[in-house]
Amino acid sequence: MNEILWKIGGEAGFGIKKAGLLFSKLLSRLGFSIFNYTEYPSLVKGGLNTFEVAFSDSQKSFLKKDIDVLVCLNEKVFNVSKDYIKPDTRVIFDPLTFKPEGEFIKVACPVSKILDKSGNSAIFSNMIFLGVTLFIFDFPIEKAFSLINDVFKGKSEEVISVNKKMISEGYSWAKENLGEKNRIKLNKVSELKKRAVLTGNDAFALGAVAGNCKLYAAYPMTPASSVLSSLALWQEKVNSVVVHTEDEISAVNMAIGASFAGVRSAVGTSGGGFALMEESISLAGITEMPLVMLLAQRVGPATGMPTWTEQGDLLFSVFAGQGEFPKIVLAPGDVEEMFELSMKAFNLAEIYQTPVIVLSDKFLSESYENIDVSLIKEIKDRVGIDRGKTSETFTKGYLRYKDSQDGISERVIPQKNGVFYQANSYEHLEDCHTTEDPKERIKQVNKRARKIKTYLKKHFSSPKFYGDKDSDIVFVSWGSTKHSILNAMKLLKSSNKKAGFIHFTHMYPLSTNLGSLFMDKNKRYVLVENNSTSQLGKLLRMELGVNIESKLLKYDGRPFLPEEIRDFALKI
Amino acid sequence: MSTIQDFTGYQPTWCPGCGNWGIGVSVKLALVQLGLSPSSTFVVFGIGCSGNMNDFLNAYSIHSLHGRSIPTAIGMKISNHEFTTLVIGGDGDIYGEGGNHFIHGMRGNHDITVIVHDNRVYGLTTGQVSPTADKGFKSKSTPQGTLNIPFKPLDIAISQGATFVGQAFAGDTVSMVKIIKSAISHKGFSLVNVLQPCVSFNKVNTYAYYKERLLNVPKVFTTKKEALSFVIKARSDDKLPVGVIFKKDLPTYTEMLTQLKNNTLVKSPKTTDIDSLLEEFI
Repeated sequence: MNEILWKIGGEAGFGIKKAGLLFSKLLSRLGFSIFNYTEYPSLVKGGLNTFEVAFSDSQKSFLKKDIDVLVCLNEKVFNVSKDYIKPDTRVIFDPLTFKPEGEFIKVACPVSKILDKSGNSAIFSNMIFLGVTLFIFDFPIEKAFSLINDVFKGKSEEVISVNKKMISEGYSWAKENLGEKNRIKLNKVSELKKRAVLTGNDAFALGAVAGNCKLYAAYPMTPASSVLSSLALWQEKVNSVVVHTEDEISAVNMAIGASFAGVRSAVGTSGGGFALMEESISLAGITEMPLVMLLAQRVGPATGMPTWTEQGDLLFSVFAGQGEFPKIVLAPGDVEEMFELSMKAFNLAEIYQTPVIVLSDKFLSESYENIDVSLIKEIKDRVGIDRGKTSETFTKGYLRYKDSQDGISERVIPQKNGVFYQANSYEHLEDCHTTEDPKERIKQVNKRARKIKTYLKKHFSSPKFYGDKDSDIVFVSWGSTKHSILNAMKLLKSSNKKAGFIHFTHMYPLSTNLGSLFMDKNKRYVLVENNSTSQLGKLLRMELGVNIESKLLKYDGRPFLPEEIRDFALKI
Repeated sequence: MSTIQDFTGYQPTWCPGCGNWGIGVSVKLALVQLGLSPSSTFVVFGIGCSGNMNDFLNAYSIHSLHGRSIPTAIGMKISNHEFTTLVIGGDGDIYGEGGNHFIHGMRGNHDITVIVHDNRVYGLTTGQVSPTADKGFKSKSTPQGTLNIPFKPLDIAISQGATFVGQAFAGDTVSMVKIIKSAISHKGFSLVNVLQPCVSFNKVNTYAYYKERLLNVPKVFTTKKEALSFVIKARSDDKLPVGVIFKKDLPTYTEMLTQLKNNTLVKSPKTTDIDSLLEEFI
């Protein structure tokens, strides 16, 4: 099995991401599984941007510590990466820019000379490096050209041909100067399924379309912004409306207004914007309005480290909004789960007429994976659209907030000559009018709370168990740490250590029956979280009375590498 | 045809003599005279004495959060632009807490009518200064007199993109009905600022205070420059204009959205096919 990590880095503005994404799509088309991870500072020019592409001939690929090919557009990327370089790492650099020292395979490609000769500017150096890369892996250059044709569709002939030419120049240089011994031999990949290269945000945006979301309102905020730009680009095609509002408060209230009018709506933001939306989450709670919110977490508090990852807002989302009302919090672990759970979120919001929060983070929102197009379609058909007790007709004596056994009242979409009613932010009677009567208050509180019981019975998904049932160690985690842990388990297996893994995606409300999952006295349960206070640990203590002592926490803004989790597990 | 009874909900809980009574009746009369019914009208209420109209006026309505009625109404209008959409709130709600939405909501010329009960105080919280109060106004929160100059809703609306700007006086329901009717009939963002005495907490800006200062708008201005000069001149003369001050016909937000050309958003065809979208990711 081949597990390769290719990393490119350079100053912002030099097409680091573009080159990385092109390479990933090429790999995907060639039949490899890919996983990408990008790091960049919160600025537009300068600084250091890196893009890592992990690829494999197995079904899933993931990050690892050791770099196989390092493409250095400048010295900085070499300096931050040198701890992960092995003697057989190919380090590609321009000797006219800098000369790295150390024990590894040096690929000194005179990129600036090639650029000078062809009269092209430095922004094309990424394509030359890509050409060298293609040679190293012995990938067919024609495949790269047809990819360029597709990706640059709509751009001028000139742009397309310059990009192709620079790739060829890099490839030719490598062919003349490197020889076979510097190539990396890969297994042949046989299965050629059509796969889409998607980030978690792409998956949310596609899930929103598949879930018939008609109004998306947002204020740009890293790392949620790409959902806004994707949906904005597609709006005419899919008959939806996307509004970039003056602030997050406006966005969430617009979504609530749309929801009242009968349209599926959503908002997306990060922690700071979510904080501004909080009061309206509470509004959606008491008015029983469907509301889907994407909360793509980043490093806080306040402005924190805007372009880095953290799972710091789990409890914030669980407790968001004043007062007591039902709210559903979901946390997909990867792109596939993101697509499924975002579609599901739109269903749950309408079935339970309450806010549903989809938790992501920078790592999931902005890292790419390739998944089978056929799988996406299968999920779409399986989840489908379920509007619950939403209807367009009504019977005489209709009461919007009528008490019911499952806590859910019928919701009639406003129609002309229909039955008018109000969505009241004050406590209200079954007929919507404001009340302060103690009995009516209790009736409505209990009605709303009953929705939680119904949800736990009908739509809650218990955490998924992965790995060996008879292991000594069981990792307990949630959301985007999924693949770090799964890959750590693979590494542990090769060290003859068995491990299990309990992965939560349906974060809140939690079924209280789950306590038994953590009761095996012969096992060591280990919480693995990308935060400093172990928020899942606190939630389990609060909801299940379970106390997990052992914790592996990471809060430096970076995701877990599988090796870190393995090393922790081997020590205990 | 609907009647005033169709729009009438609970008996209002406003103080006897409150300007809200006149506004409440005028809104209902305007809706009836325009041939609308509670089931063809969206209304979003703010929080405050004015917002409490939610229980007194029948409509498809949201009693929203303090300050947030404008974006809520915009969401409703974009989703079903066949519905007449009103916002009813107070000066503290719309100009204070919701000031950002007031300023930016106008920029898109959303076809909504915003009726502001402007009484220069916070009534429901028992008498603190509001953004429209004059400098020096003494209240529970400003016992020494406010140091702020007043917010100028008319000037802001005219310059910021509202395509209909009017002002009414709560003590004159006849002309108020007319102004509200033209505001609702206007296609685009309409502001009706209603000068409203608060008999319980504002002893300065009384019925008599307003009556002395009212000035009928001589004509509807169609340029911002003329409208603004008129409003500024009236202020320097210590006068309060009443009537339709500015009106301009421009495309509304939903008219400008090509995807809403043939249908309202709520009735637009379900387009959940993602196959063609996926192509760009391969």
